[in-house]
Amino acid sequence: MRAIREIFLVVIGLVTGLSTPLWGQINISGKSGLMYIPSADVQEEGTFTVGYAYSPSRYAIKYNRTNSESIYFISLVVLSRLEINVNLLRPNGMAPRSSVGFAAEGIGDRQIDLKYVFMTEKTRWPSVALILSAPFGIDNSLITNALVATKHVKLSKIIDAGFTVGMGSPYSLYRSGVKNEENSDIFTGYTLKDKRDKPYYYLAGPFGGVNLSVANKAGLMFEWDSQHVNIGLYARLVRHWTLQAGLVNGDQLTFGTSYSLNLLQLPKRLSAKHSPAK
Amino acid sequence: MRKRIRTSVLNEPLVQGLFLLVGLLVWSTGESRSQSVNKLLNFENLTVDTARHQIYYEQRLYRNPLIGLLELAEEVVPQGITTFVPLFQGVPIAGYQLGSGLRTTTLSGNDRQRFNREHPFDGRAYKFDFRLQPEFIAQFGFREQIVESKTNLLLQSQLYISRGLILNWGVLFPIINRLDNQALNVRPAPTFLNQFLALNGTNFMSLSAGLFYNDQYGVNVQYRHADLTKRWSYGMESGLTGFYFFPPNGFYYETMKNVLLLADVAYRIPGRDVTLKLSGGQYLYQDRGVRFDFIRQLGSVEVGFYVSKTGNGGSGGFNFAIPIAPGRIFQTRRLRLRTTEEFRWEYAYSRGYNMATRYKVSYQLDALLRQYHTSYLQNQYR
Repeated sequence: MRAIREIFLVVIGLVTGLSTPLWGQINISGKSGLMYIPSADVQEEGTFTVGYAYSPSRYAIKYNRTNSESIYFISLVVLSRLEINVNLLRPNGMAPRSSVGFAAEGIGDRQIDLKYVFMTEKTRWPSVALILSAPFGIDNSLITNALVATKHVKLSKIIDAGFTVGMGSPYSLYRSGVKNEENSDIFTGYTLKDKRDKPYYYLAGPFGGVNLSVANKAGLMFEWDSQHVNIGLYARLVRHWTLQAGLVNGDQLTFGTSYSLNLLQLPKRLSAKHSPAK
Repeated sequence: MRKRIRTSVLNEPLVQGLFLLVGLLVWSTGESRSQSVNKLLNFENLTVDTARHQIYYEQRLYRNPLIGLLELAEEVVPQGITTFVPLFQGVPIAGYQLGSGLRTTTLSGNDRQRFNREHPFDGRAYKFDFRLQPEFIAQFGFREQIVESKTNLLLQSQLYISRGLILNWGVLFPIINRLDNQALNVRPAPTFLNQFLALNGTNFMSLSAGLFYNDQYGVNVQYRHADLTKRWSYGMESGLTGFYFFPPNGFYYETMKNVLLLADVAYRIPGRDVTLKLSGGQYLYQDRGVRFDFIRQLGSVEVGFYVSKTGNGGSGGFNFAIPIAPGRIFQTRRLRLRTTEEFRWEYAYSRGYNMATRYKVSYQLDALLRQYHTSYLQNQYR
């Protein structure tokens, strides 16, 4: 019993003694997270990330069972608690034609999302974040309206377990009646929609997962994305470049890659002499 | 046959420009062969006031003024310099003291008059500085042509005429045009005069006249009250412009009939390098309305998010300003070729017709002055 208590204290000490952690793992829409689910983590303030993710056709979000999808994203940690993320979703290959006669793809679905961490991680409490997609989308499918909590536990000197649980709202605001060519006012046409009305949808209902990271260099992920169980791996190759791959529902492969850099760093020749630790 | 004539017209200015560049290059390397490679070459119009331990300097290489300041500090702090006064177009901005932190002193009208007396303006203190500036104008979302864009590469330069007064000029090389029906002819880049004025420590003006960006020519006046040590600032901008463009053989313009009249008030959150700005008035084509900006400065980069609501519609989106790598390509005491220190771009979510549109001059006063705000420099230095 005493031994358990001691281990617990050591774990607590390690967790609280951590300097600013860098959670470099990015989810399908470009947010700190696992594979399909977001977490309440945000990277260091000023971190800019650019990346790509592939969603296989049976789990493609908009073009489900007709096309696999490519998702391109950028994100920026604008404030230490605020991450803003812009993503673009496109079908791979020829998309089905729409009734108006043009290929249905267009430029793709553009979406702007915000993640705000309103409670940072404490010794006993997880960090809690609210994620909202900007409501002025016309026909977005990666909409993430969710409340999520994440807690990191140091399992050994180098292994960190990040537990995430969250709830995705099936409801979202769209501007459904608006045509692309008539899109002249983002403040009109709002309609409340239920994602579950579509045959396939993203992140509605409870979700969760765990990210086991080894020395912040590589890791193993397990998640419930509100519909399936997914398993994945990731590795950071050079300092800022992450590669990841996963198996969705034990069926099809997903993969992605991202590159991060911190915009707040001064050029090396100057920062060595003028670093905050001077 | 017709095509051949056109090609030769296309190439002529390009060839001439190249000859001019090579000529300047040969001339300047010849002159500077004896000079050692020196970090001070990054700076222009350097003057030292040993009695006051001050150095006045201008640097046009870095978007982030702190990089220039620290680079210069490495060279001159050992010589007893404590106060750094960056100049913009030959006009002092403010005084910065480096110590355990960074301190800012605004310059009074008297300080400025004394500086002007003691340091008469000399255009020869500046290099022939050539800047490669990309230009990307785009609209998205139209199904027949999903990205309608116009991409150009500008070779720009600035001619220093008197204190605060410069002539912006250059050559524009078109690369792609899928936006409008303008031909791909090599043409003059936006060419205009700009006078920067510091009335005292906290009141600044920028006056421009000539051919601006976004096909508008005319006059533009900006005024701003901004204490570089305080949170609040406000400003006004007005302009009278008309449409112009350079067809392959000549110059086309319409009368000046677009009145721009804008006012803004901005609040800075010093600890976060965030500026919240509310602006409104009349934009181009008599479109009236308001716009709200959230602006974050991050080192050499600036990122903003905005929403606007005007008579022509509502929009929102993001913008950014970044330096383009590699920066300095080649430089001597007299001549420099470099990539731009600032590429600015804005994305609007909705595509409408003339919503809160404006044209661009070389710099906006508010954007320029927030780069010199004490908290922005201090947050990076501490």
